[in-house]
Amino acid sequence: MAENLRTFIERGLVTGASFTRREALKRLGSGTLFLFSLRNAKAGGQKQPFLTSRLHIGEDGIVTVLTGKVECGQGVRTTLTQVAAEELSLEPGRVRLIMGDTALVPDDGGTWGSLTTPETVPVIRKACSAMRELLCRCAASEWHADLKTLTVTNGQISGTGGRIYAYRDLTRSPLLANAVSADARSIDPNSWRVCGTSLRAINGAAIVRGALPYSSDLVFDRALHGRVLHPPNHRCTLGSFDASEAEHLPEVRVVHDGNFLGVTAPTPDQAAAAVAVIRAEWTNGELGDPRNLFADLKAKAKPPELKEAGRYPALLEAGSLAVGMEAAEHKLEATYHITYIGHVPLEARTAIAQWQGDQVTVHCGTQAPFSVRGEIAKALNIPAENVRVIVSDTGSGYGAKHNSECELEAVRLARGTQEPVRLAWSRHEEFTQAYCRPAAVMEVRSGVQGDGKILAWEFHNYNGGAASLAAPYQIPNRYAAYHASESPLRQGSYRSLAAVGNTFARETHVDELAAMLKLDPLEIRLRNIDNARLKAVLTCAAERFGWGKSRSGNGVGYGLACNVEKGGHLALFTELEVDGSNVHLKRMVAAFDVGAIINPDILSNQVEGAIIQGIGGALFEQLEFDKTRILNGRLVAYRVPRFTDVPDIEVILVDHRDIPSAGAGESPITTTAPSIGSALFAATGKRIRELPMLPAFAGSGS
Amino acid sequence: MTNFRLNVNGAEFSVTTNETTPVLSVLRDNLHLMGAKPGCGEGQCGACTVLVDGNAIHSCITPISDVAARSVVTIEGLGRGAQLHPVQQAFLDHSAFQCGYCTPGMIMACVALLKKNPHPTVQDIRRELNGNLCRCGTYARIIKAVQQAAESAQDG
Repeated sequence: MAENLRTFIERGLVTGASFTRREALKRLGSGTLFLFSLRNAKAGGQKQPFLTSRLHIGEDGIVTVLTGKVECGQGVRTTLTQVAAEELSLEPGRVRLIMGDTALVPDDGGTWGSLTTPETVPVIRKACSAMRELLCRCAASEWHADLKTLTVTNGQISGTGGRIYAYRDLTRSPLLANAVSADARSIDPNSWRVCGTSLRAINGAAIVRGALPYSSDLVFDRALHGRVLHPPNHRCTLGSFDASEAEHLPEVRVVHDGNFLGVTAPTPDQAAAAVAVIRAEWTNGELGDPRNLFADLKAKAKPPELKEAGRYPALLEAGSLAVGMEAAEHKLEATYHITYIGHVPLEARTAIAQWQGDQVTVHCGTQAPFSVRGEIAKALNIPAENVRVIVSDTGSGYGAKHNSECELEAVRLARGTQEPVRLAWSRHEEFTQAYCRPAAVMEVRSGVQGDGKILAWEFHNYNGGAASLAAPYQIPNRYAAYHASESPLRQGSYRSLAAVGNTFARETHVDELAAMLKLDPLEIRLRNIDNARLKAVLTCAAERFGWGKSRSGNGVGYGLACNVEKGGHLALFTELEVDGSNVHLKRMVAAFDVGAIINPDILSNQVEGAIIQGIGGALFEQLEFDKTRILNGRLVAYRVPRFTDVPDIEVILVDHRDIPSAGAGESPITTTAPSIGSALFAATGKRIRELPMLPAFAGSGS
Repeated sequence: MTNFRLNVNGAEFSVTTNETTPVLSVLRDNLHLMGAKPGCGEGQCGACTVLVDGNAIHSCITPISDVAARSVVTIEGLGRGAQLHPVQQAFLDHSAFQCGYCTPGMIMACVALLKKNPHPTVQDIRRELNGNLCRCGTYARIIKAVQQAAESAQDG
C-alpha cells in the first residue's frame, strides 16, 4: 500500500481561515505557501487524506520550513535546517525554520522520545526532495529542456544562455495549477554536503549575545502579571478560602475557577503579595509515608498491561525461566531502587496569554505545542482552532515541559481579567508543581553458567516504566515486566525515562555476576552480546579507555556499562577515585552509534550533556518529601552537577551512513549510573544498589 | 520608593523603585535588558550574572541600592557593535552551550574570571565558575572556550 502513496504538492490557498491563522500567516511574509499531501497515485489523486503546509517560498528566495517540533537545546533547529538545505540543494543560510506555532505549522507530535530525528527528519527530507524534483520539472517544462540534464545548485537551475530557474519561480509555474505529484529520491548520504558536517548552531550568535528571546523574555505592553495559589501537593482540592483582603489591594484581581485560584496585578511583586494574603483550606492531600515508598510502590503494583505492541511493551518473554534456572550453575537475586528527581530546566516556565474575542494566543516554552493547545481547549471547552500556542526556543526541558500547566493557568487568568497576562513560575514552583522523574523498584533474578553465559533472566520494574526493559544480551530464557503502580508524587516523562533505572539495575546486576564468577566485567558482556554494533562500541571505547591496563584498587576504580536504547548503541567507561566518602570522577570515555550522523558536533554535545545530567541522578540528585509536600524544592537544597563534579569526557562517534539516524538526545544518559557504580565497586568492593549512590555510599561505612 | 541613577553598559538611567529591588528586576522590567536571566532567585545558578565595576555578581540577590553610582555591564554591553567580545567568540567557536539559557551569565562570569586571572588553569576555571550552572552539561566546552579566550587575549 505504502508504495502507491505519492507526494502531491500544491499552492496554498488561504480561505476561510480563523483569525489566529490569518494572523499567523503574516509571520511568513510575502511569498507562496506550499501544501503537501500523500495520495494514492492509482486512484488519480482524488482523495485528499491530509494536507500539510510544510514549505513556504518567499519572494526573496528564502525557503521556510514549518514544523511542530521545537528547539530545547538539543540542536534540531540546526539539524533540520541541514536536512532541508541538503535536499533542496540550497545553502543553509537560505533556509528558515518556523517551529511550534500551532496556527501555522503541521502537528509533528511533541518534541519527546528522541523522535525528531527518526520521524520528522524523513518527513522534511521527503517534502524538500519533492520540492527539488518539482523545481527541475517546472524548469524543464518552461524551457522545453530534458529533465535529466537539469541539476539544482545553490537553489537554482542554470540553463543555456544564462537562464536561471529558482525556487521563487515556482510560484508562477502553470504546472502548479493543480496538485502535482512529485516524488524524488533523497540525496544519497554518501554524497551529503551539508548533512554530516558540524554546522554551527543556527541560533548560536543570538545566544552568545544574550539576544535569543525565550518565552520568559517576551515583553508585552499592558500585560498584567499573574500568580497562582498552589496547593501543598497535587492530591489536594481547594476547600474554603477567603480572598477578600487580596481583592482590596490596589489593582489586584482575584480569579477563581473550580480548584484554581490566582491573582493578577500590575507587577510580579504585587501579585506575589496578593497571593500571600489569601487564606485557603486544602483538603485530602496525603502523599503517604516516604519511608515506605518502595514497599508501597510494590504493594500497589498492577500486573503488566498487555497493550498492542508499541515502542515499549510492558512484558517481554522468551523460552522458559524454570528451564533456564534449572540448568544454570549459579544464581543471583538482587533488588535495585531509584528515587524521584527533578528535571530542573534552568528556564522556569513562563506563559503569556491574550484573548481576542473567543480566541486565545499563548506564548510559552513547551515541548509539545499541540498537546498544550488540546489540553487548553479541553479544559475550557472551546475548539482547538481557537487556541494558538507559539513556542519560543526553550531554556530546556529534558522531558519536563510536556503538559499544559503554567500555560493553562495563564489562560485562565487572562480570561478572568480580559487582559493579557504573563505568568512566570518561580524555581520553587518548577520543583514542586511540575511532575518529576518516577521512583522505581527493580528486581532481578538470574541464572548463569561458570563461563558467564546467562541462561535465565527475570526482571521486574515497579512504577518506573518499560524503556530499556529489553536487555541487549542473548539470553535464551527471559521474562521482563513493567508493573504500573500508584505514585505519591506526580510523575511524568524524563530524559530516557525508565531506561535510566532499568539500565542501572540490569548493568549493575551483570557487573555483580562478573564479580561472583571472577570474570572481567567487559568479558562477561562480550560473551552475552551478539549485536555487532554494541560489540563495536564496547571494544572501541575499551581500547581508547585503556581497559585492563591498570588494576582497580586502593581507592581507584575502573568500570563500564552498555546499553541499546531508542536505536542508540552506547558504551561508557569510567575512572574514579574515592577519598573517604567522597567520590571524584576522573575520566569517562563513551562510544556511541546512532546510525548516520547529521551533525557530529551537536551529537557529541548531546552525548556529553546527557552523561553529565546522568551524574546528578547517579550520585546525589533526589527530591525529598514528607506526607504533604516536597521539602527541598530550591537549588540551595537540591544539588545538580556543577563544574567541579564533571570528569574529563571523551566521546567517540561511530558513523554509519547506511543506517537511518536514530535520535540521540536521551539514550546516552542511561549508562552513567551503572558505569559509575561498576567503578565504585571496583575501587572499594562496595556494591550500591540504589540511586542516588552517594548517600548510601557515605552511610555504608568505610 | 527611591530614585536611583544607574550606569548600565555606559549609559545613564534614572529608575524609581524600592531600595531592596534586585538589580535583575530593574534590568529586565525597567530597562528591558533581557540578557541576564532569572534562574533560581537565590544566587545559586549564576544565570543572572552581570558585572559591577568589573566583578561578577548575582543580580537576582543584589539590591539596586548596592549598584547605584557604579558601573554595571550586562551581556548586551559586552561586544562592540557587530564585534563579539573574545569570550563570546570563544563560546561560539566551541559550541559551549545547548539551550543557551545559562550562557549570558556564564559569559559574564568568564569575563570577570579572566580579568582577575588572565591565565587560569583548568582547576581555576572549575573553581571560579562553580557558581554557574549549565543544566545541559556543556561544562567541558566552556572550559575550552575560556582557555581559548585567555590565549586570544595573550595573542592580542
